[in-house]
Amino acid sequence: MRDIVLVPEPEESLPGMTVSNNQGLLQWISSVDHKQIGILYLWLSVLFLLVGGIEVLLVRIQLFVPNSHFMGPEMYDQLFTMHGTTMIFFVLTPAIFGFATYFVPLMVGANDMAFPRLNAFSFWATFFGGCLLYFSFLAGGAPDAGWFNYAPLNQYNYSSSQGIDYYCTGLLFSGIGTVTASVNFVVTILCYRVKTMRLQQLPLFVWMILINSFLVLAAFPSLNAALAMLLLDRQLHAHFFSAVSGGSAILWQHLFWLFGHPEVYILILPVFGIFSEVFPVFSRKPIFGYGMVVGSGIAIALLAFGVWVHHMFATGLGNTVNSFFAASSLLIGIPTGVKIFNWLATMHGGKIRFSVSMLFAIAFLIEFTIGGLSGISFAIVPIDWQLTDTYYVVAHLHFVFIGGSLFGLFSGLFYWLPKISGRLPDERLSKWFFWLFVIGFNLTFLVQHALGAMGMPRRVYTYPNLPGWTILNQVSTVGGFLMAAAVGLLLYVLVKTALVGKPAPRDPWDANTLEWTTASPPSLKNFDRVIPVRSTRPFRDYKRPGDVDYKEEPDRGHMEDPNEGRPEAPGTPVRAAASPAGEKNRDYSLMIKLVVGTEAMFFVCLIMAYVYFSFVPGYTAQSGSLDIKSTGMFSILLFSSSFTYWLAEKNYGSGNFRALKGWLLATIALGATFLFGQGREYAHLLHDQVNIGSSLFGTGFFTLTGFHGLHVLVGLVIIMIITGLSFRGDYADRRSSVIRTVGVYWHFVDLVWLFVFLVVYVSPHIFK
Amino acid sequence: MGPILYRWHFDLPIVLMAIGLLYLYYKLTGFRWPRKSVLFILAMLLFLLVTCSPPHYLGMHYYLSAHMIGHILLLLICGPLMVFSLPEQPQTLRRFSSFLSKRAWLAWMTGVGIMWFWHIPSIFNHMMSDMPGLAVMPLLQAASLLFAGILFGWPLFGPYPEDRVHPLSGIIYLAAACISCSLMGLLITFAPLDTYYPFAGIKRMDNLWGISPKEDLQTAGLIMWVPCCLLYLGGCLLLLRRWLTGDDRRRNKHIIAVSN
Repeated sequence: MRDIVLVPEPEESLPGMTVSNNQGLLQWISSVDHKQIGILYLWLSVLFLLVGGIEVLLVRIQLFVPNSHFMGPEMYDQLFTMHGTTMIFFVLTPAIFGFATYFVPLMVGANDMAFPRLNAFSFWATFFGGCLLYFSFLAGGAPDAGWFNYAPLNQYNYSSSQGIDYYCTGLLFSGIGTVTASVNFVVTILCYRVKTMRLQQLPLFVWMILINSFLVLAAFPSLNAALAMLLLDRQLHAHFFSAVSGGSAILWQHLFWLFGHPEVYILILPVFGIFSEVFPVFSRKPIFGYGMVVGSGIAIALLAFGVWVHHMFATGLGNTVNSFFAASSLLIGIPTGVKIFNWLATMHGGKIRFSVSMLFAIAFLIEFTIGGLSGISFAIVPIDWQLTDTYYVVAHLHFVFIGGSLFGLFSGLFYWLPKISGRLPDERLSKWFFWLFVIGFNLTFLVQHALGAMGMPRRVYTYPNLPGWTILNQVSTVGGFLMAAAVGLLLYVLVKTALVGKPAPRDPWDANTLEWTTASPPSLKNFDRVIPVRSTRPFRDYKRPGDVDYKEEPDRGHMEDPNEGRPEAPGTPVRAAASPAGEKNRDYSLMIKLVVGTEAMFFVCLIMAYVYFSFVPGYTAQSGSLDIKSTGMFSILLFSSSFTYWLAEKNYGSGNFRALKGWLLATIALGATFLFGQGREYAHLLHDQVNIGSSLFGTGFFTLTGFHGLHVLVGLVIIMIITGLSFRGDYADRRSSVIRTVGVYWHFVDLVWLFVFLVVYVSPHIFK
Repeated sequence: MGPILYRWHFDLPIVLMAIGLLYLYYKLTGFRWPRKSVLFILAMLLFLLVTCSPPHYLGMHYYLSAHMIGHILLLLICGPLMVFSLPEQPQTLRRFSSFLSKRAWLAWMTGVGIMWFWHIPSIFNHMMSDMPGLAVMPLLQAASLLFAGILFGWPLFGPYPEDRVHPLSGIIYLAAACISCSLMGLLITFAPLDTYYPFAGIKRMDNLWGISPKEDLQTAGLIMWVPCCLLYLGGCLLLLRRWLTGDDRRRNKHIIAVSN
């Protein structure tokens, strides 16, 4: 039996070296420490902020005067597309995930995330996704169809350069990073909290990350499905989005916005969490309405999936459809409003300290409300018809993205910078940054409300000399350059802090949560022991034992209080080899369920597209050419492989290793036979000239069964690996959770086939 | 509007079923009427409303959307209301409850599956065209939705606190069901007009409120999509409130203390 230690914490050094936190570039690149990965995410975000900012400064220069020839439309289209894509996916998302990666383990008293190597993978996937996206500049041109990349403009006949393919692959790759990070967060928060911390005592930032992670797991599959379909359309000439061959351009919009609307909540919920930390600390009061903040967060997450059609009011879906979504879009403003009132009530009666972090928080309240109001105005359909695709939308989205998300990130930056860097930033310069940025921001975007109402459309590379347009554009450009200057100042502040900032104390803000109990910056091992957690402000309770948040409950001893009698608990160890089998299984078991859940959403999107196409006359007639009988037989073999795997698991549990190996081999054989059967079906169809590009049916069929087959193949490879390992004697201790974890995946793959089989093969025969 | 209001028809099997359920409930509470029985009576009244009243007539002959509202009321309101109204820990349901508590997924599949089952076009259309004969199929549909609603709500709000799933798991349970409901609603909204053909041919003369078949189909799908979401959200918030205020724990403690 080998001890498995996943995060080597250096206690001895190699000869000739010393153990320290600072081991140069190689250590950063190979790090699996969540703090370093968090910092990497944040620097990535800063880098892309500069790049995306330069892109839009060029855009604003072009828009400075009417009929400008500073650049042509092709370059302009690439710049604004890349600006949008960069800012959303490579600035806001990594920054949020950076703060979460850094602080979630610290705030729950854990020594690292649940899966440190997966954590590193998530960062590097995001980084390489960004590199892939930007490589497009060198490969013939960046994507130029806007950040939401509508069909049919995104098809190969209208956008022949490879930019959009890089868009698809870059986002697919970075999306994988985002999804895996979210899995990591959920498992960390639910399984790696310090034992004394109950879920009702979770810091609100951690709550928001928890809710947000579920949102990511549910929403990203839709984007992945859309991008995969688009790649198939462009590369293999499938027919998903081309109306001329029966596909549907509006399907792209549905799939994209099914992702896109939850995405904006993904970008704002963690920021709501940051504010829920900042407001109590700088008002010296507990958060008003902890339960309401959590509840409204859950409400937002659920409702996020019921409003996406409001991005499509102008696509002609009809008054009936529009009215329902107008109603739901108005409703979703309510939980957000609840939060704003919670924060205002937190400030009310508190002793407010106007640190830079708090300044950004207060500015957020105003700016985000403005953005929210302009957003709500879009819920009224006729207003949307007038103002959609104008600068009014641009103003709205920048007010919520910058005034909401980015201000939150700045607030978090100035709040947590002393902890991360161990140094205090220059207060005066930081305040200059704040004012410069806020003034620049408002100058840039407030006027755009008027510009949009006056009719200027978005995404036009130049405009005619209409009254009022020029001066407003010029004001906007000047504001943009002010913002750029502010960002330059921010960089200066950051570098200066890192180099010559005053050393920061452990707890510069007199804050409430566990991360402030560590040194600034925290040592490699976050916690040896963690103070007891009995309320949502554990550190404050510890510092002020006479003024604690919790009530002493007389019969608390009857409840499960593992720390009864002991004042402190150890920080949750990182996958120490001696942890009992039950704990080991719990986190892997949760992890695989989350992965299976997100893959299920992906298949749901594919199946929905398939069913959507089946409404087209003649589609299901072609499915009559499928060989239901032999595929049915191969399906039975696949389902039996689930049964054999289940037998393997049972035998593993009872210690019969020969049977384990035997049943695993049987599973592989059955699975491989199924794939062989699929291959046969494919060969027949290809022989009959039915392929992914031949017809809408071919498109739908090959995509759906193809992705399923891919999942089966991956499953088989994994099972082959564990079979090989079991032959080597790896699972002899019977405590491994690997077999059961892989089993969940395998059963899921078989279950998906049940649905695919019913929808593709069986339903044409019963829906006559 | 006049004639519609008179279209009440109390089918004997339905009325018998309602009376039977009421009697069973009365027996369960030990032949008393506790305060919670208001919920049960409300559920029965809603049940009768859905199956015997003018809206039902609308739903059977005119508008798919009216039919849809009826379905939703049965599955998501009547069923759960009946579960809410059950007295604390009735002895006779003990074994059923502990059986179901180990298999919450079964309850979920019943609630979600019944919805998909009745919407399969061939089954739905068959049920509609069966109408002139016995009232078996509509009774079956109404009863199955009611019982599926009871099963669906049981792991979340059942009368045995120790058999309930953890409230946060309950939120995931409801969220997944909500997604399923929305998908179904989406499909119906964008389905071709002749999917549920008994409703596609509303004669213009009889068309009470000028709603075209296409609008009716879309409305039906949308009702399943958006307002239904709100019902699931309501359930989630109820669970969250119960969890945050520690209701279950206190009740458990009381029970443990009492049984000690």
